[in-house]
Parts: sequence; C-alpha cells; structure tokens
Amino acid sequence: MSTLELEEVSRWFGNVVAVNDVTMRLGPGVTGLLGPNGAGKSTLINMMAGFLAPSAGTVTLDGRPLYRDPEIYREVGLVPEREEMYDALTGWSFVLANARLHKLADPEEAARRAIATVEMADAQDRDIRTYSKGMRQRIKMATAIVHDPTVLLLDEPFNGMDPRQRLHLMELLHELGDQGRTILFSSHILEEVEQIAGRIEVMVAGRHAASGDFREIRRLMTQRPHQYTIRSTDDRSLASLLIADASTSGVELVTDSTGGSTVQVQATDFSAFIHAVPRVASRGGIRLLEVRPADESLESVFSYLVSR
Amino acid sequence: MSEATPTGAIHDIGYRHYDGPRLGASYIRRSLFLETLRGAFGLGRSGRSKIMPFLLLSLMVLPAVVVGIVTGYFGFDELPMGYTEYVVNMQVAVTVFLGAQAPAVMSRDLRFRVAPLYFSRPLSRQQYVQAKYGGMAAALLILTGLPLTLLLAGALLAELPLGDQLPDYLRSMGGAVLYALVLAGVGLVVAAMTPRRGVGVAAVVGVLLVLSGLQGAVRAMAGEFGNDTFSGYTGLLSPYTLVDGVVAGVLGADSSVGDGPPGALGVVVFAVVVILLVVGSYAALVARYRKALS
Amino acid sequence: MSLIRTDGLTKRFGPVTAVEELTVEVAAGVTGLVGANGAGKSTLLKILLGLLPATEGSASVLDLDVAREGPAIRERVGYMPEHDCLPPDVSATEFVVHMARMSGLPATSARERAADILRHVGLYEERYRPMGGYSTGMRQRVKLAQALVHDPGLALLDEPTNGLDPAGRDDMLELIRRIGTEFGISVVVTSHLLGELERVCDGIVVIDGGRLLQHTTTASVTAETALLRIEVDGDPAVLTTRLTETGIVVRRDGALLHVDVADDTTYDVVRDVVADLGLGLVRMERERHRMTEIFTDEAKGAHV
Repeated sequence: MSTLELEEVSRWFGNVVAVNDVTMRLGPGVTGLLGPNGAGKSTLINMMAGFLAPSAGTVTLDGRPLYRDPEIYREVGLVPEREEMYDALTGWSFVLANARLHKLADPEEAARRAIATVEMADAQDRDIRTYSKGMRQRIKMATAIVHDPTVLLLDEPFNGMDPRQRLHLMELLHELGDQGRTILFSSHILEEVEQIAGRIEVMVAGRHAASGDFREIRRLMTQRPHQYTIRSTDDRSLASLLIADASTSGVELVTDSTGGSTVQVQATDFSAFIHAVPRVASRGGIRLLEVRPADESLESVFSYLVSR
Repeated sequence: MSEATPTGAIHDIGYRHYDGPRLGASYIRRSLFLETLRGAFGLGRSGRSKIMPFLLLSLMVLPAVVVGIVTGYFGFDELPMGYTEYVVNMQVAVTVFLGAQAPAVMSRDLRFRVAPLYFSRPLSRQQYVQAKYGGMAAALLILTGLPLTLLLAGALLAELPLGDQLPDYLRSMGGAVLYALVLAGVGLVVAAMTPRRGVGVAAVVGVLLVLSGLQGAVRAMAGEFGNDTFSGYTGLLSPYTLVDGVVAGVLGADSSVGDGPPGALGVVVFAVVVILLVVGSYAALVARYRKALS
Repeated sequence: MSLIRTDGLTKRFGPVTAVEELTVEVAAGVTGLVGANGAGKSTLLKILLGLLPATEGSASVLDLDVAREGPAIRERVGYMPEHDCLPPDVSATEFVVHMARMSGLPATSARERAADILRHVGLYEERYRPMGGYSTGMRQRVKLAQALVHDPGLALLDEPTNGLDPAGRDDMLELIRRIGTEFGISVVVTSHLLGELERVCDGIVVIDGGRLLQHTTTASVTAETALLRIEVDGDPAVLTTRLTETGIVVRRDGALLHVDVADDTTYDVVRDVVADLGLGLVRMERERHRMTEIFTDEAKGAHV
C-alpha cells in the first residue's frame, strides 16, 4: 500500500485557486515538495492526508479515494506545519493518546517506540509547553509515525531545528524511505531537499511545474544553455579553444574576490560540449583543475522553474 | 573653438559611515517623550487618528469658553463654574480621551513586539517607561490645563479681579498635575495588561467608569447611614475624587464632592494613596517590560 | 580591537544552565553562530547586549565590558530579532527614522541615514507605504535596516533568512556579505542552516548546550580533501579499469568515481584517459569538507 496518485486535481477557495490541475504520482522513497510561498504545497498535503476534498479530480491511495476514509487514515501519517498543540499534556500522553485514537493493539508499546525513534524519551514526561520548537517538531513526528503508516506527509518539518536535529531527521526519513514507505516532505531549504530527496515535485502558483530527479530535470531544460565553470592552468587559451567549438555559445573569464580565475562557459549542446572539454584541453596541453556544472544545483533548477 | 573640459563624473553613493554625534540616553528619552506626547494627539500619524483627541479637546474646552462668554455678557461677579470642580465635572471626556490614547501609547509596542528593538538600544527599561508615562501625563495636563487657563482668561475678560481668580486657578492647576499623573498611571497600566486590539480602550474606559459609578453609589449609601467619616473615605474609590480630595485637603480648595477627606488623617491618607498609585503604576509598567527582550 | 570576547562566561537560571564556561574570541568580519539550544542563544545575546548579568565570568563587545558599559554597547550594536516586530500602520521610513533617533541620532542625521540605509537594503517606493502590507522579504529588510541605520560596529542578526523562499534567502545572504565587506560592519549571524553560513561567513562558532563546541574559520572546515570526484557520460567501468592500470587509486560510487590525488599530474592523466576513451567529462572537482561534518562526526561519536 504505497502509491499516492493525484489525477487532474484542483482545489479552490472561492476565487482563489490554490491547486490547479495537478497530476502526480508518489511511490516508495523520499520525495521533496518544493515551491515558493503560496504555491499550494500545504493545500496539496492536506488533500493527500484526506483532510480536504479536491474541488475537481481524484486523490487516491493505491486506487482508493482518500477523503474521509477512516481506513485510509491508518495508513497515512501527517506532520502539519501549524504549531498549535495541547500544551498542557506531556509528550508521552500526547503520543499515547494518538496511539489509542488509532485503536492500536498495544498503544503503550507503539508510543514508546515512536518516541524512541525521534529521541524524545528523556523529555517525554515534561509538558509540551516547555518544549523548544525543535522538540515540538519531534513530538509531532512521533504522533505521525506511532501507527506505523506506509505514507508519511510532512509540511515544512525542518522548521526551527538546529543542525544536529536536522541531520537526525534526515537520517530518519532516509531510513523510513528505505523501508519502502512513501514519504513526502515540503521545504524551502533546497540544500536539505538535495540531500535526502531522490525525487522532487515542484509547485508554482498552484500548477505542477516539474517532477523527477533534479539533475534529470536540468537536462530536460534544453532551451537553457548549460553553464559550466572550469579552472585550468591557462584559462585564456582554453577559453579560445572552447569558443572555437560549435557546442559553446559563450565564454567568460572571471576573477573572483580571492584572486582566483575561472572560465565560465555557456554550452548549447551539452553532450558535444562535455566530450569537447577533455579533448580540447588534452590536445592543447592545458591542465584541467576543475570542471563543474554551475547551474545544476537544485536552487538553479528551481529558480528557472519558478520564473517560467 | 571651445576647450574640451571634463564635465562627467560618477559620484560615490555607497555606504557611508556615521561620525556625527550620538546623543545618549537622556536625549533619547526626551525624544521619545515628545513623540509620545505628539502621538497622544494624533500628530505625526494619519489624519484619522487626530479626530478623537481633538474632538475631545474641543469638548473639554467648550464649557470654559461658554462660561467665560456668559459671565461677561451677564456681568456676573463670579464664575458660575469653579476651577477646582472643572475636571471632576468633565471626567467622562477625560476618561474617553485616556481610553482612546493609552492603548496607542502603551499597547502597540507590546502587541507587535517592538519592545526588543527599543531595549537593544541605549534606553533602559526605566527610561522607556518614564518617557511614555511622562508623555501621557503631559497630554492629560494639556487636556485639563488648557480649559482651566481659558476659564481664567474668560474671567479676566469679563473684568473679574485677578486677585480673586488666582488662588483657585493655581489650586486647580496643581490638581491638573495630579490628575495627569494618577490617570496616566492607571490608564497605562490597564492598557499594558490588555494589548489585544480594541480591548485596551474598553478596559480603560470601563475601569474608570466603573470606579466612578462605584464611588458615587457607595457614597450615597454611606449618606443613608449618616456616617460622615466613611462617606468622606469613599473618595478613595475613584481617581477623580481621590485627586479632588487631595486638592481640597492639601491645597485648601473647596471639595467638589461633599466634604472631602475627613479630618487631617483623611487628608494624609488621600495624599499617601495618590503617591502610592503613581509610584505603583510606574513600577508595574517597568515590571511589565521585563521580559520584553526575547 | 576584538569584536566579542568572553571568558568563562556562565549563566544559570536556578537549576538550568543556559551558558556554561564559554570562552571565545570572535574576530572582525562575518561570523556564524550555530547553537543546538535556543535558550542558550537568546541568553547569550542578552548578555552581550548588557541586558542580563552573567552568573560568572566576563564578556566584552567592541572592547566594552558588558557588565559596566551596557548602554555604550547598545549604542554601537545593531540587533535584528528573529520574530516579527514591525507595527503595521507605520511606513518603513517613519519607523527607521524613529529607531535611528532611539539610537541617539539627531533628527536630521536620522532622516538622512534612514533614507540611505533603506536604499542599501533594497526598499524603494514601498518604503512610504504602511508595513502591514509588506511581504516577508520586505519585512526582513526593514528589520535589517533598523539594525544598521545608526552605523553600528557590530550587527547581530538572528536567523535573518527565516521564512524567506530560496530567492529571498539568496538576496538576504548577498546583502549580509555586502554588509561585512563593502559596508565594513562586522556581523554575527545565527542560523541553523550550515549551507548558508558556509556561503557567507569567514568563521563559525558552534555552541552546544551552552558550551563551546567549535570555533574555526570557514576556510578550514571547507578545505579541499585529497579526493577528486569524477563523473562521466558513459560507462564508468571502462574508465575505472584504465585509470587503475595507470596506477591511480580509484573508488567507484555508483556513477561517481573518487580518485586519490597523488600529485598534480593526476589531473592530466584523468583528462587524457577520458579524452582517449571518447567519454564526456561531466564533472571533475576536488571534494571539499562541509560544515555539517562538525555535527556528523559528533553525532557518530554520540551514537557509540
């Protein structure tokens, strides 16, 4: 039970179309959901959790519609962005209550395991009101995994976490993903998404802008010339040899603030270019020190998708 | 033939450092005091925020002007309304002014959590409160002092002798200072406890009206029992009658409310309560801002 | 002049120790402050601003003692809080001018500097509108402007990229870099995002549970390793074999090859072999250490 499918899904609130004709398929593993503020990510996640019905289209888990299906709730765990919680409860009682609500066979054991997984056992007997932001996030995580769901949806889960907690959560999501669960998390922090998400889904103003591995997406962005950064022992000669090759459309010699120099190249034919570089450098006797794509980062891909 | 002289230039508009004077906490406190005072009358803010304060100022001033005209026209040999009873009579207008402006002075910094920005600057908590308290009190002083002064002017224009007018005028101005301090204290403390939008106005007005009403009711009941001493002490219940009592007892004016504080002990009690209220309000405000930086 | 110096700085609130035996000296420039514990960070900031007395130890900011010269410190330090702190019915110009005066600037200077600083942070016509209608990015800029308007010697920026989307984050980081370099104002930035700090900071101070964990320069934690990472278009197996034949140590990691750089000729060998095999060179770069390693090493130790 782990394929989440959205088929031509839209959701509007009066005149505001939060989600506009989105078709998406999520399978086992970790997927990152990205988009600028207001792109519709939270709305999408709420529909996937079964709390919001689509205005049009279908949201299904392994073929069954999600909305208001209590059976489905057993399979899905949600970590929402909102921070309001029952401040007067202790962490332990909150997670236990959730376990009981799910009618688990052994709620205490499940709660214990969930709290241990998020490493909150030391603080579980303190009131939630005394928790820091990161600790609240972890308790929310515990309630979302207490019933061992196959689908886990997280809305901005890294918010407020310090680097150690982040690393820990990333490892946890990795593990859960490796176990075959379907995990979707939304985030603004591209560097983290890069590290743990195998696939990404990008939302822009309610529309589904792209999906897949971000490097693949970059390769698909053929209208955009690839940017490359090259350091060598003779930048100027290398630059002139590269611009002589048909695969490039521009070269620029750049000196950075520390005095180091690089060649920035614009390549219109990616494949021809990457073959040309070692060949041309070898023949010209120029030592290559660094050859790297300058715009392959998720950030670069993302800013392109957002501006289309 | 013209000589080619260089006429183009690119000027440096990059970041400039500041080498000028940094005027220290006293200057800052004075600045904040003046801004608070101006803000209490809506000056330096949008047009809409001037309506209430100026409307109320006009309302406060109107009776004084009318009294002046009437005195002159009919040739009375004394003012039909006295100086020292003016504020007590006009207390509703003063209350409404305080209710409208105290939240603007105090609550906004708390509601929008601007306080940390003040306290990461040279101004201390105490100095901040002094500026705000002072500004509100100064505004109230203008609100009450202006009509009293106009009353004096009206009396003089009606050719009433200065010597007759001056003592009571001075007493009432002393009262105006006390009213300003006590009312500003009470109003600001209530406003600081109710930072939510709209609640502050209702709370300040509510507290003062309730106290006033309570005072009147209790005094009437005391009157039924014929106990003059107790009746005199009921003046402690409302800030207006409290200050009036001090002006009567300490400065020698006629009480606007019955016989005023009972005996010498009564006067001392009233005066002490006034001092405690002012000091206590100040302390409460300073305490309120203790956890403001976080 | 040292920017910030602490010596055995300790702060206890009853049984809780927020800051413990902190001894560190922060130099001028842009420094990142990373802390595992939120309470420790805000306590430290309050102490440095002279608003909270330490339980033990001492500290100085811009060579001014926090215990005795608090107001002087606050005259010369700018603070940008993490949370929302802007009243909605006032314009950015009004607000920043007011804050400049609250720092002790006379009225005329306050106006001039406010106008200039708003331009430098990137607020143009919008500065005359009430701040209630501002986006998160604009609000962060105003918060930054009020921290800089009085020309501080040190700017304390608490999570300045909070709530910003990637483009906004980029802009803010670029601005912070400019402040540290062009404007000549030293900056201490707190953040949980090590990637950001890598981009912007010269040095980093890591605090954990109120204690100092690490204090290094960015350069030393992001130094090159002795490994060369190579990715080619085509079958890496052939490349691996050929490289190994030349005596180079190669480790394969899926589509990537990691090669030990023995000396500079390694680069040439790789280049020639790739060209010879007619492969496309997608990337060839020296691996660098990342700041996150500070925590992974720590975490690995803790799990044992």
